[in-house]
Amino acid sequence: MNSTKRLLFTIFMFSLCLWVQAAEEPATMNYAELDNLPDWSGIWTPDVADQRAQAAANLTPWTEEAARTIAEMMEADATGTPAGIFQDCLPEGMPSWMLISHNAFEVLFTPGRVTLLGESDSNRLRRIYTDGREQAEDPDLTYHGHSVGYWEGDTLVVDTVGILPEVYLAVSEATGVRNGGDMHVTERIYLADPDTMYIDLVITAPHVLTEPWETRRIYDRVRGFDIIEGVCLQGNSFNQIDEDGNIIFVPTMPQ
Amino acid sequence: MLQPVKLKAIALFICFLGVSLPTLGHHSFGMFDMQSFEPLEGTVVTFQWTNPHVILWVEKIADEGSEPEMWGIELSSPGNLQRAGITRLSLYRGDNVIVTMSPLRSGNHGGAFRAVENLTTGMSYDYDYSEVGSVQ
Repeated sequence: MNSTKRLLFTIFMFSLCLWVQAAEEPATMNYAELDNLPDWSGIWTPDVADQRAQAAANLTPWTEEAARTIAEMMEADATGTPAGIFQDCLPEGMPSWMLISHNAFEVLFTPGRVTLLGESDSNRLRRIYTDGREQAEDPDLTYHGHSVGYWEGDTLVVDTVGILPEVYLAVSEATGVRNGGDMHVTERIYLADPDTMYIDLVITAPHVLTEPWETRRIYDRVRGFDIIEGVCLQGNSFNQIDEDGNIIFVPTMPQ
Repeated sequence: MLQPVKLKAIALFICFLGVSLPTLGHHSFGMFDMQSFEPLEGTVVTFQWTNPHVILWVEKIADEGSEPEMWGIELSSPGNLQRAGITRLSLYRGDNVIVTMSPLRSGNHGGAFRAVENLTTGMSYDYDYSEVGSVQ
């Protein structure tokens, strides 16, 4: 092998090494790890009958003040004048979405993250980071908070903090109090059988609860349907034809 | 389906004439008397296929000597309805229908959807809230 060939061979080998190294670079995007995760495909619809049963059987440990408000709201709902705590179309947030929704969600797995996308309200979106990061110490406060999780076998264990104090802790669409801050939610999400998902929650909300509230919500798998886009505010509008013939949305009532 | 028609009449009814459907956002069905089932015969004005609640607007057949009435019948969400076999194509403007509804407790011209018989197409649909749920 003469010197020119040696040089070319060296350059070739060096380039090959760089190429192989580049190919291995995205270590945090290991899609192969997804093969180890349980099958949570399809969409998941809440067991509303069980929501009601839970509300009756597993009472929320409200503080005295919160309990008074909740009792008034329950009475109003039962007598035909329910409080519209979610009528502004702001997100139900955490953990109310999990607790009271009547609409389905789907679960997306990507490397290092689990994403929940809810139906009927485009605000329903949870990002759960499973890439090993620590819980944020001082996150920006948001409706769904900051969630980190890890897999314990086929159970996803989730820890959520950083929820806005304005977010309702709700037990129905007409009953709830604003959590007041410092809320902490842990969840264990797993399949009780192939088509039944359990979400076991422990909710700590020191401003409205006297002790951590442990409760479960059940979701049933439905196959053969896709999640439908839902923009909550769209329902507050009619489509009409304006003077120029354009199809437009017009608010039903003053916003 | 959501049909682009000039629906000023509906807006006027809502704002001024006492159709007090809570068409804002997510809400409880506590304002409806869910123990009551009443028929409503009329013509579909529009089938408002929107989240979080679909609304069926019906012009009720007028009693003799009175004006037609606009009624708003509230349903679950498009996703829940599709899974129960009701789609945006199930009802069209101009279809003659007999709706079974649970009326507003306020007595205004609205109710919660329970079933409909579409006399124009011959199709019937109902919705079981206990199964897929959109009611407290």
